[in-house]
Amino acid sequence: MIFFPAIDLKDGQCVRLLRGEMDQATVFNDSPGNQAKAFVDEGCEWIHVVDLNGAFEGKPVNADAVDAILSEAKVPVELGGGIRDMDTIKFWLDRGVRRVILGTIALRDPDFVVEACHQFHGQIAVGVDAKDGFVAVEGWAEVSDISALELARKFEDVGVAAIIFTDIARDGLMQGPNIETTLDLARAISTPVIASGGVSSMDDLKALRDQGVDVLEGVISGRAIYDGAINVRDAVDLLKVPGMQEAGL
Amino acid sequence: MKVAIIDYGSGNLRSVAKSFERAAVDSGLNAQIAVTGDPGEVAKADRIVLPGVGAFADCKAGLESVDGLHDALTEAVINKARPFFGICVGMQLMADVGREFGNTEGLGWIKGEVTALSPSDPGLKIPHMGWNDLRLVGEHTLFDGIKAGEHAYFVHSYQFVPTNADDVWAQVEYGGPVTAAAGRDNVFGTQFHPEKSQALGLHIIANFLKWKP
Repeated sequence: MIFFPAIDLKDGQCVRLLRGEMDQATVFNDSPGNQAKAFVDEGCEWIHVVDLNGAFEGKPVNADAVDAILSEAKVPVELGGGIRDMDTIKFWLDRGVRRVILGTIALRDPDFVVEACHQFHGQIAVGVDAKDGFVAVEGWAEVSDISALELARKFEDVGVAAIIFTDIARDGLMQGPNIETTLDLARAISTPVIASGGVSSMDDLKALRDQGVDVLEGVISGRAIYDGAINVRDAVDLLKVPGMQEAGL
Repeated sequence: MKVAIIDYGSGNLRSVAKSFERAAVDSGLNAQIAVTGDPGEVAKADRIVLPGVGAFADCKAGLESVDGLHDALTEAVINKARPFFGICVGMQLMADVGREFGNTEGLGWIKGEVTALSPSDPGLKIPHMGWNDLRLVGEHTLFDGIKAGEHAYFVHSYQFVPTNADDVWAQVEYGGPVTAAAGRDNVFGTQFHPEKSQALGLHIIANFLKWKP
């Protein structure tokens, strides 16, 4: 399994939000490039980046910060936040992002995901953010009436590189991830699933590894790293499964 | 025994690798399972697995985008006749031609084409998604110990229709017959996902790991 340290960008800085609320942001590092370098120095294999302003505005906002991350990161970077048209996908991929994460647009316009997978095969992931099993959109300000599984199923045969599943009721709250819901989704679909949201300790990671080793692609964690509860090197080592070469590296 | 699961950015590589590891352990086989896009590794492997999800044209383009990978496949599978297992679109790629997003040349190992599913019952949804019962056609080593009516997990909108009916080894019913497995000589593939098909899938994978075509 792959450990994805997260960098959430707001106004050019690395922050974490509480339950997705923009005014509940804590700044952890004012240099995203340095943060990326620190993660890579600790042995991470991928970096997960979110353009938070982008998610709220529906267009790229933190391009300079992303450039700084890309120039420091010697590992692949995935990025989400406000990606709602082909031009924006191309904008990020051309800069060197390995794959982009589609969120709101995936719910509003599933055909767009199909076309994006066709144009950018293997470089499109879909973020499914759920609250009580239902998909949340618009930077988590709204909850829809479609279930997480129903949405993920729409993209099962189109070649989506991964489903990034976040239980938003848990994100940033340090209460532990919703392992059961995450694994139920991963078992139900053939698309790789990456767990996100609420991972707050090494024990959480160990639980995800022990129960999800057969079905989960990886785990994303942000706040717990900045809080010191998770050390990137230890997390990478913990999730590495002996005897198997990981995909995409 | 080295098993190469080909990484060209398509399919659930991790899940496929895990199921091959599990099948090997369960059968007491000493198999080294590697997820790799390195043509050198692929050419040297004892057994080759090609996953694939998405459109035929996109998967073929993905495969061709890795320098030397197509040649390595030809070397291992055709010249050295190593056992080959294609999964989902990885199975469809064995065809001459795919008809999704225009015509795309396949690997051409089994004569036939990949065409859109068109169930006779308009109530049947596309994609064909979920569990369906296998109808075995003939006797293939990879289905040793599998009974007709066991079910496998499908997600697809297109199917491989081999020109020669003898190349079809299993079908399912979905508003008409749908190819569930195709093979010839040392190449074999399933439209369903063995890595998601629980005991049935592990059984077929174990048969593949022991297969001496």
